[in-house]
Formats: sequence, structure tokens, C-alpha cells
Amino acid sequence: MAGPVALALVLGLASLSYVMRATGAVLPNLPAAVTERTGGLAPALLAALVAIQLTGPNGVIHLDVKVPAVLFAAILAAFRAPFIVCVIAGAVVAALLRAVFHL
Amino acid sequence: MRGDRPTREILLAAAPIAAAVFVFGASFGVLAVAARLPTWSVVLMSLLVFAGSAQFAAIGVIAAGGSVLTAIFAGALLNLRFIATGIAIAPSLPGGRLLRSLLAQLSIDESYALSARAGTPGRPDGRTLLVTGALLYVVWIAGTSIGALLGPVLGDPKRLGLDAAFPAGFVALLWPMLSGRHAVRCAIGGAAAALALAPFTPPGIPLAGAAVVGIWLAR
Repeated sequence: MAGPVALALVLGLASLSYVMRATGAVLPNLPAAVTERTGGLAPALLAALVAIQLTGPNGVIHLDVKVPAVLFAAILAAFRAPFIVCVIAGAVVAALLRAVFHL
Repeated sequence: MRGDRPTREILLAAAPIAAAVFVFGASFGVLAVAARLPTWSVVLMSLLVFAGSAQFAAIGVIAAGGSVLTAIFAGALLNLRFIATGIAIAPSLPGGRLLRSLLAQLSIDESYALSARAGTPGRPDGRTLLVTGALLYVVWIAGTSIGALLGPVLGDPKRLGLDAAFPAGFVALLWPMLSGRHAVRCAIGGAAAALALAPFTPPGIPLAGAAVVGIWLAR
């Protein structure tokens, strides 16, 4: 990719990201009922990110090495394993399955 | 805001996530260079955007042959959720509107999640967001730089399992949150909304839909 094009990509994404992060912060203090609702954001978005990364473009589960990798990470998380252990375990499971089964 | 939470305690709690963000940053650097972005632009993007999923989405569009405008659109849509997290974190940040809008740039999924966990329901801990966000910002840039420089040496990121590290990390972040009030239904609703929207909307809209459902189901 040519330099000026890459610069346009970076600056375009950066300026929009800045505006989005700033919008909420500069709004006047909102009623407690509104801010309380945003507590549902993190679990909803994290679950959505997992769902999107494990499914194909048609919204149906895409069976590749990421599925067992995430299941293994979820089991470790359920046993209160540290975050980085879950992350590395997920990567290792995926890498091993790829190496062994040539997926 | 628990203003008395020691910086040391916050940093210790964030250390494992910082290690993971470093790994994420390195894998982003590897993938971005593999998508033929100039090395300097990869590092500049992490300096100015500081949002892993948005940067990944943008690079994903470029790697798939999409235009720069589409890449910016996809990345920006993924950052739509920062409007809502900004609303959540704003009352916990110090200063006037200008300072708060600048400090809010330190909010990413991980720093927001940790500040939500350190605070009370509906009132994230501002100090945790700032300290964690600053730490993760430095680590994200360091990881990106190393990934971009070493990328060509490491080989195929997919063979190393780096693509699976992301959903594994999201699951690890999500799990401890599920004990919270209404969190399980927010998680299920968010995933369902994303999957329902994914087949016929551009990247980012499913996440925005999940954000709306999460806010809706939170009470």
C-alpha cells in the first residue's frame, strides 16, 4: 500500500475513533438510570465478539480450530485461570490442532 | 470513584491483561504488515487509534482487497461502542469537558472492563481506567512495533494460533463478568443480536446491535 493511502487510512480511522470516544465524555452528566444501563455493554459486546469470531459470514458456526481453542479457554476461565493463561492456551490449542491435523 | 485505590494495586491487577495486549499488539503488527501496510503506518495506527478490534477490522478489509473508505467505515463502526462506554465512564473522570474527552481516549474494552469491575454497578472506577488505559496504551504500541518489525521473520500468524488468541481472550474477559446483575442475559442477547445481524450487515453493525441489546437488557 502506498504511503499517502496508508496515511489516509490511519488518519481517517483515528479521527472518527477520537470523536466517538469524546462524544460520551463531553455529554453533560446523565441520569443514573441511563448510566446504569451501560453496565450491560461489556458482557453483550464480549459475547458478540466471541460469537462473530466463531461464525462465518452467514451467521452459522464455522467449525475450525478456533472452536475447540475457545472452549478450552472457557473451561480454564471457569476454573479461574489467569487471563494470559487462557489466551496462550487458546493459541496453543489452535496451533497444535493445525499442526497435527493439517487444518 | 474509589480514589484511594493504590496505583500499584491497579497495575498488578492489569499486568496479565497487559501481557495479553502485548501479544495482541504483536499479532496485529504481524497481520498488518502481512496485509502490506508500511511498517510506520502500522505503528502510527496503534499510536492514534488504540483500538484492537477496530484496527483488525480495518486491516481485514484491506487484506480482503477492500477500499480505504470501507476499511475506515468498518473500523469506525466497531468503535461505535465507545460512545456508550464514554457515557458510562464520563462521570468518573476528572476535569472539564475537554480534559475528559482527552482522558476518554484511554478507554478500550480491557481498561473499561477492569474499571467496571473495580467500581460499583453503573459507576466504573475512573482511576482504574486511566492507569490501566495508560499502561495498555504503551504496551499496545510496543507490541505493535515488535510485531510489525518481526512479522516477516515469525511466519504464518495462523499457524501460530494467534487468530484463536482473540476469541480466547474475549471469553476469559467475559467469564468473570457473568456473576453480575443481568450480565448473563446481556451476554446471550448481545451474541444473539450480533449473529442475527451478521449475515446482512457490514462489519461493526452486529457489534453496535449487540451494544444496543446490552443496554436494553441491563435493567
